[in-house]
Amino acid sequence: MTKHALFTAALVVAAFATAHAQNAKTYTPPKTAWGEPDLQGLYTNKTITPLERPAQFAGEAELTDEQIAELEGRAATRSVDNGRSKGTEADVSSAYNEFWWDRGKKVTTKRSSLIIDPPDGRVPALTADAQRRQAEEYKQPIFRGGGANGRGSDWTTDRSLFERCITRGLPGAMSPSAYNNTYRIVQSPGYVAIQIEMLGGTRVIPINGGSHVGTKLREYMGDSRGHWEGNTLVVETTNFSNRTLYRGSSENMNLVERFTVIEPNVLDYEFTIVDPTTFVKPWTASIPYIRTTDQLFEYACHEGNYGMEGILRGARVEEAKRAGETKP
Amino acid sequence: MKRILAIAFAAMLPATAAHAHHAFAAEFDANQPITLRGTVTRVEWINPHTWIHIDVKDGDGKVVEWMIEGGTPNTLLRAGVDRKSLPPGTEIVVDGYRAKSGLNRANGRDITLADGRRLSLGSSLTGAAAGESGADAKK
Repeated sequence: MTKHALFTAALVVAAFATAHAQNAKTYTPPKTAWGEPDLQGLYTNKTITPLERPAQFAGEAELTDEQIAELEGRAATRSVDNGRSKGTEADVSSAYNEFWWDRGKKVTTKRSSLIIDPPDGRVPALTADAQRRQAEEYKQPIFRGGGANGRGSDWTTDRSLFERCITRGLPGAMSPSAYNNTYRIVQSPGYVAIQIEMLGGTRVIPINGGSHVGTKLREYMGDSRGHWEGNTLVVETTNFSNRTLYRGSSENMNLVERFTVIEPNVLDYEFTIVDPTTFVKPWTASIPYIRTTDQLFEYACHEGNYGMEGILRGARVEEAKRAGETKP
Repeated sequence: MKRILAIAFAAMLPATAAHAHHAFAAEFDANQPITLRGTVTRVEWINPHTWIHIDVKDGDGKVVEWMIEGGTPNTLLRAGVDRKSLPPGTEIVVDGYRAKSGLNRANGRDITLADGRRLSLGSSLTGAAAGESGADAKK
């Protein structure tokens, strides 16, 4: 990334911070013993509100009460009996009945998308460079994309880091999933730590902890530094590795997260992605984190990951079948 | 208007119908749907997904062991299910897809008890999730 591009990115981040400060909520959270806003506690971010606004709601930033009731009604009665066709890959991908899922039955905002900027509620278009990178991705020795699907099944490294129980990267690890949506925030003077249920792991974020590590150091979760702006914890993360790609992002991604307790039981979690080498403009999502009395459970994902074995073994069987069919 | 709304919401749901942490479609074969009636021998209460072991009698009356992939233990615990919820000897019917590997493994797309009740939140089997209406009657 050129110096000029970095400077532009920094300016854009600053502009976003200003825009946000103007919208700051009026609730004043309690303070820790050492005088910082107290974010601590257990939260869940499970929601049926999608990241991107569905095309059907184009132009409708907010849902009506009727629309929400209909949406929640459908989530409540979701079942293998509804809208799934047997014998299709889509049905297999949906894995099992609702019994096994924990993806929420409610919207957690009246908005029709978690994305609040751009105003259309959609992830901005990829730059030409990002499109080229995406096409190249399938030639890389190790698959670096997120999500549940890899590019092949020759070996584990063809599969996504999520599937390999390694990480969802950022902001993936902070985003709602189909289960394991619990987070614990703890604070001590100089640090904020965020324990993440899905795949496990804890982010330890230094507060006013100086500048980022050198640019040669690249990390799956990047290098995070926090500071307070009023009642908002602002965390800026750089130094991403090129192994944790979020919707095509690059290692140049500059991620700004903003944590604000806006009601006694609601923490507003916002992230802004500035990555001019990937997206044609920055974008921001706001995800409600709701306080929960639930526990945060261990998810030792490697404990019995028979699924990985099943995927690779299944691919060998299919290969052998294909080879048999092509024999003279 | 109602119909338009219905279409709109149907289209909206898949956006949040996130998948399991790994690709079930890569592990199990859409072309091999399978129904198994068997008796639970043990449940592996294990991450990232539970596995239910069942004994199934094949056509010749021979007992064959099958393994059924279920959800993550964390989710089950939250739904009031624990490792005692499916005690050995329980007869279940599994509707799923066979593993591409050809091993005796399948995903538990839908699991019902021998009397037709579906394993669900608040199942009386679990003895938990008080206030829920009990196992669904499967149509």
